[in-house]
Amino acid sequence: MEYVNPEGLRLDGRRPLEMRQLRAEIGVVARADGSAVFEMGNTKVIAAIYGPREVQNKSQQINDQAVVRCEYSMANFSTGDRMRKPKHDRRSTEISLVIRQTMEACILTHLMPRSQIDIFVQVLQADGGTRSACINAATLALADAGIPMRDLVTSCAAGYLNTTPLLDLNYVEDSAGGPDVTVGILPKLDKVTLLQMDAKLPLDTFETVMQLAIEGCKAVANYIREILLENTKQLEFRRGV
Amino acid sequence: MAAASGSDLSSEMEVDAFRRLFPLHFHERHLLKSIRPDGRTLGKARDTIISLGAVTSANGSALTKIGCTTMLAAIKLEVMTPTVESPDEGCIAIDFHMPPICSPIVRPGRPADAAPVVAKQLSDTILRQLRYLWKNSGMIDLKELSLVSGKAAWMAYLDIYCLDADGSLFDAALLSAVAAFSHLQIPVVSLNDEGRIVLVSEDNGGGKLEKEPVNKEKRKLNLATIPFSLTCVLHKNYILADPTAEEESIMETLVTVVLDSSSQLVSLYKPGGPVLAHTSAIQDCVALTRQRLKELQKILNEAISDMEVD
Repeated sequence: MEYVNPEGLRLDGRRPLEMRQLRAEIGVVARADGSAVFEMGNTKVIAAIYGPREVQNKSQQINDQAVVRCEYSMANFSTGDRMRKPKHDRRSTEISLVIRQTMEACILTHLMPRSQIDIFVQVLQADGGTRSACINAATLALADAGIPMRDLVTSCAAGYLNTTPLLDLNYVEDSAGGPDVTVGILPKLDKVTLLQMDAKLPLDTFETVMQLAIEGCKAVANYIREILLENTKQLEFRRGV
Repeated sequence: MAAASGSDLSSEMEVDAFRRLFPLHFHERHLLKSIRPDGRTLGKARDTIISLGAVTSANGSALTKIGCTTMLAAIKLEVMTPTVESPDEGCIAIDFHMPPICSPIVRPGRPADAAPVVAKQLSDTILRQLRYLWKNSGMIDLKELSLVSGKAAWMAYLDIYCLDADGSLFDAALLSAVAAFSHLQIPVVSLNDEGRIVLVSEDNGGGKLEKEPVNKEKRKLNLATIPFSLTCVLHKNYILADPTAEEESIMETLVTVVLDSSSQLVSLYKPGGPVLAHTSAIQDCVALTRQRLKELQKILNEAISDMEVD
């Protein structure tokens, strides 16, 4: 199948190095400590943070740092065909783990000993790149909750189809079977915390694809910073400072 | 709140502490003045928003907000073989989910107590209406979901997700269910050579003229009567309409009244509670629901006409 046509356009009309439309909103769940909606094109994810709060299961308590927990789930109507999987299938367990470890790397857990931070992400619409969208939503929600972090974590995916590196794959491109490189970075520190790829790819191509994904992450980071700044200005305005 | 006790910023902390330490007193002090902590009068419901078509991957969807309580409902249609008993009827399956994002009380891995209760109430309200229908009395005629008698019919999966739980969950869930059904657009299908149902895609309709669509006219469901509900909290002699989660947790007697669009009683639900209500109190609840019904009808109609303009 042709994923990039001779004019150099992809199936949804984007250029190979173009990202989908981003949209984010902070403070969408009133009773959560922090929450955010993040959209990448048709992929739409909502994240909520509860905590730092008392550890619910005392045996998991750690005396010198906070426990971070994460649960990822997909709405039944989020995919093309209605899902009929049990709630905790392997895929969502794996993604929960990935998100938890990625976020744990940037949260200053040693500042909140004997407490627990819950990250809940719910996919409302899935169109490829849910992993990245979840991490971006979780970052925004953590920032909204005021949890101390080393840096923002942002994530973006890139692929390689028809000998062209493509940024931010949608569902059709994702399921084409080509390589899909998901990268999560700490943009200020310029360090990679998450890197996933499960396909064969020559080493030099891999580097260009990964570089492309990192560029994507930086673009997401800029957008997230804008949103946070806008939100802070609004808070300042409401407080009348 | 601060204005009520006539205090400045420093004593606002005290009001907050009072609210946490003596929640019942705090609310009763408000009730004496016939007002509630969020500034509503006793019989007034919170601001309600309906937006249709919130989920693009579904056939029909709606996002509703009653105050902070947020529900996202979406319907997906699948083709199924109807049962032998009712060969020309479709089927509706209703699910209500409370993922842990919605409330600090819900823990992951353990479903919230409220979720199955609301799910049961919802399917009772929507499906019971169907089961005992004599002409034009149900919300949805299941026969409208039929495609080929005895061979194929639509199976409608309605999933409702609670994104923010702040009281009156059933009201918000029912409203989102009703809104999703009124937004539902049934895709055009036709029979292929092997007698199986295939989707007719919208864009190449011109090239597929030899296959006559099975359901050319049946693109929207006819909602004959629409149920609307209002939950009230009873406390002493007070009746509080549309309680928040805080009010629900402090004053535990709930009464849920469901009326249909012609103000007929559909269901009444009072799951025990410390307050034993007089018949007059129940009648007051029904009267409040009647007022609320008019508001909700107006909001729903506006949402539908807004969508048609787009």
